Amino acid sequence: MTKWDYDGPILEIDKLSISFFTRLREIPAVMDFSVVVQPGEAVGLVGESGCGKSTVALGVMQDLGVNGRVVGGSIKFKGRDLGAMSQEELRDIRGSEIAMIYQEPMASLNPAMKIGKQLMEVPMIHEGTPEKEAYQRALEVVTDVKLPDPKRILNSYPHQLSGGQQQRIVIAMALMSKPSLLILDEPTTALDVTVEAAVVDLVKDLGKKYGTSMLFISHNLGLVLETCDRICVMYSGEAVETGSIEDVFDKMQHPYTQALFRSIPLPGADKNARPLKAIPGNFPLPHERPPGCNFGPRCDYFVDGLCNKDQAIKMQDIPGNDRHRSRCLRINEIDWAAPMALEDTKTKGAIGDVVLKMDNLKKYYEVAANALFGGSGATKVVKANETLSFEARESETLAIVGESGCGKSTFAKVLMGLETATEGKILLDNHEIQDTPIEKRDTKTVADVQMVFQNPFDTLNPSMTVGRQIIRALEIFKVGKNEAERRERMLSLLDLVKLPREFADRMPRQLSGGQKQRVGIARAFAGDARIVVADEPVSALDVSVQAAVTDLLMEIQREHKTTLLFISHDLSIVRYLSDRVMVMYLGHVVELGTTEQVFSPPYHPYTEALLSAVPIADTSVEKEHIVLEGDIPSAMNPPPGCPFQTRCRWKSKVPGGLCEKEVPPVRQMADGHQVKCHLSDEEFNNMTPVIKIAAE
Amino acid sequence: MDPLSWGEILTRIFLQLTPTWIALVLLFVVSVMFKRKLGLYGKLFDSTVGMIGFALVMFWVFTGIFGALDLIVTHDPLAQVSGMKNKVPGTPLAGAEEGEYGWYLLGGDNLARDVFSRVITGAWIVVQIAPIATAFAFMVGITLGLPAGYYGGKLDTFLSFLANLILAFPVILLFYLLVTPEIVETGIPAYMATFLFVFPLIFVGILLNSRYYTQPNFRTPLLIGVLGVMGWLYLSLISEVGSKVHVIPGFMDLFDIPGGILVVFVSVVFVNSPTVFRIVRGLALDIKTRDYVAAAQTRGEGPWYIMLWEILPNARGPLIVDFCLRIGYTTILLGTLGFFGLGLPPESPDWGSTINEGRKFLSIYLHPALPPALALLSLVLGLNLLADGLREESLRD
Repeated sequence: MTKWDYDGPILEIDKLSISFFTRLREIPAVMDFSVVVQPGEAVGLVGESGCGKSTVALGVMQDLGVNGRVVGGSIKFKGRDLGAMSQEELRDIRGSEIAMIYQEPMASLNPAMKIGKQLMEVPMIHEGTPEKEAYQRALEVVTDVKLPDPKRILNSYPHQLSGGQQQRIVIAMALMSKPSLLILDEPTTALDVTVEAAVVDLVKDLGKKYGTSMLFISHNLGLVLETCDRICVMYSGEAVETGSIEDVFDKMQHPYTQALFRSIPLPGADKNARPLKAIPGNFPLPHERPPGCNFGPRCDYFVDGLCNKDQAIKMQDIPGNDRHRSRCLRINEIDWAAPMALEDTKTKGAIGDVVLKMDNLKKYYEVAANALFGGSGATKVVKANETLSFEARESETLAIVGESGCGKSTFAKVLMGLETATEGKILLDNHEIQDTPIEKRDTKTVADVQMVFQNPFDTLNPSMTVGRQIIRALEIFKVGKNEAERRERMLSLLDLVKLPREFADRMPRQLSGGQKQRVGIARAFAGDARIVVADEPVSALDVSVQAAVTDLLMEIQREHKTTLLFISHDLSIVRYLSDRVMVMYLGHVVELGTTEQVFSPPYHPYTEALLSAVPIADTSVEKEHIVLEGDIPSAMNPPPGCPFQTRCRWKSKVPGGLCEKEVPPVRQMADGHQVKCHLSDEEFNNMTPVIKIAAE
Repeated sequence: MDPLSWGEILTRIFLQLTPTWIALVLLFVVSVMFKRKLGLYGKLFDSTVGMIGFALVMFWVFTGIFGALDLIVTHDPLAQVSGMKNKVPGTPLAGAEEGEYGWYLLGGDNLARDVFSRVITGAWIVVQIAPIATAFAFMVGITLGLPAGYYGGKLDTFLSFLANLILAFPVILLFYLLVTPEIVETGIPAYMATFLFVFPLIFVGILLNSRYYTQPNFRTPLLIGVLGVMGWLYLSLISEVGSKVHVIPGFMDLFDIPGGILVVFVSVVFVNSPTVFRIVRGLALDIKTRDYVAAAQTRGEGPWYIMLWEILPNARGPLIVDFCLRIGYTTILLGTLGFFGLGLPPESPDWGSTINEGRKFLSIYLHPALPPALALLSLVLGLNLLADGLREESLRD
């Protein structure tokens, strides 16, 4: 089909309302939503899960499924109403004029078809391009998305590429027909931070190069800041604030936006002096929205009689700013510049004695090189953990940072006793436990070392009540003499994690993600755990809930003098709450030190890249731009010498190709700060900070 | 008396089934009234397909029960009435006595027995055997499938190989072997029963022990009580005076299962359990990677607790669906066994045997073979529809 020319905005969504119809009721997913995307503009759509941001994207694609229907308003693409188009016209537009990139790259590619064929299909179907021309175009686009050896890539199947490469192919496919509008639905959520940074960078460059407009859907404010020109904040099906990035980030005019910014850890935040402020309450379910303002019940500026009056609240223009609008009745009454009311500052518990000590811990796995005839043939050794040595003290938070495959989960398994160590020692109160599997550990040891898991939807047994699960942990840890005592203790544990006692009889599916995570924490503390391994405990939660769960962990730590091993890839939160940080890469500890030491130069080159990769939702922060090439090597086949040498930008500074030959020694930089790198002291001293906060 | 017309026959059959209709209507009214509180069972009443399936299944269950209670059956299913041989449906009984039902509603078979009564009585045999045999197959499959999936490795390889071996064996041949007098003489079916029927005991024993071992004061009496009762039932079931397996004296033997039925049980369980094993193993492989399993491991739970209390309850969805489907297969299998005259006594009114008898004169007299065939078809169809409905509803929100 021919693409028509149009001077106006690419996408105009006007007062859009979308509902889903279930057999019980109509569920309004999006209400009164308006947004305009100008040519070449990138608009970010931000909100928590369930706020309707993905529904908007599906609405634009006119792909709402059998239950969904547009019940009001219009979506105009280049001046034409998408709702009035026939299925055939829509099919023409999808993929050629509007392209969409989804979260899970593997799910967007056909696993049985070669990459080249999938890419060439796009122009061949939409424009009838001859095969040769289509191939040339595919080659061009794959080069554009910075994939190495484009010809080989075109000739391979999706499973032969890594996650980051797959997502690049999905982007390439979206760009094949030179669309006017690109919708990206959380395109980097499934990727590692350093890979994410590279993909975001690519999207930004390509947007400029092709002049494509973008609708960028994300829950990550930092990411939106880095990619978009304008932002639209959504809450419970409505846009609550929209405007340019600068206006919304610096001069926000809606209580929800403000609360959102106050609940994410920014570089200036400190867990004791300036704790995060969680948004109270829970996200309302779509069929249980309050009358009046949806955010009313959780808002600090709530006024009875005004905010909960049963009326639709309109978006208001904010004079003076560029198309900045907010959906709040009290815009002019609230002093937006007022500093955050400080809640009582907490004092940090004194760090006590060494509780846990790792000494040269090694964990190797033997994998049969040949899966079919394993056992007889040669075996390969996967070095999941290499010479791990560190100490953790009482009431200390030690963060373990690294991307997938760095060995942090293996380490957790060895510590918990699910695996035994290959070499080295783990000392818990000076007892060696590295060779004792969990069945042989005594109850006390098991109860002392507990774990909080990552995925709240997976952490509780779906077919057992919350109370029962906690009581079971108490039974196992031999707490309480009889059922009544244990029930009492279980209720007090629910108090500890600030959940109502009625929750004891609920099933996990009746709880929200944050509440489930609290139950998981209560369960971990059932036997008064002294060491808690928290494996990304908040990464799967919504931003507003993250702060509350993080604070809860901190509070319990202060009360119980717990040693917290906080595994995470999110450096913002690590910086906010940890005392010491350990950075891991491919099983090696590449840097270890106090939080200040790790977050300021000299850095290990990998730490430097990680710091640069983490999106920060603060317009006053300037970051040095470091993009790592390539992907994390497989642990099955690590590079010789330094594990990071394949992606290191400092490699050329080390003479004699030493990085490729030898694993660097552990170097003591300052008191308690160690780095595993070949760089000379001089180079280290010349490093500049990655993150600079501009003077205000 | 005059022969009945087709309209009259249908009306009379309808009236004869009155207890079934009342029970069905009651069940549906109550279920629909409380469907929001009944979980998955309640959700079934949102799906037309599921409701039809459930109605068909419950029709035969109620008919079977009331038939056994002698509320529906018009004549003794084994009694032969002279002059009624191969008579068409609606033929009046010559010289019917006082209080005796006057007609053969669906005609008589080649031994002059009432086809209608035989079909109803046959339902009771199916309704009894099929679910129980399937339940036994599930016990065996679950008890072996969980450890295979959970532990993996050599155990998994061995058990999976065994399952494949059994699945590769021709089913009909196996049945013929099991009922051959020479084989019965050696006691193989009885030993197999001894082996297969011990699994429910193992299953329940481990289930309770893994859950309550932290409270020995409660656990020990509970286990003694439950296992004691189950053990007695088990021994009564397998032991028979004069057979190869004779472990308890006759006066303690609660009931005797006729040798033929036992063989049917054994073969059905033996053939079905490998498939259940595979399903459970696959589910266990999937569910063992969940965080709540890891949480149980890190608090030092034993493997059997994890398998039976953390993994199994969360595999229930697919298992319930498969259970329904498998009762259907078992029903067909029972039909097949009866058809070949295996296991059940020759005069047995079960559907398979009746179809086989009717088959011989099929081109002349259609009516003796058709009713049992339709009954078998409708029950299996009902079970399949029910399974479909359950699957559909369990996937929906």
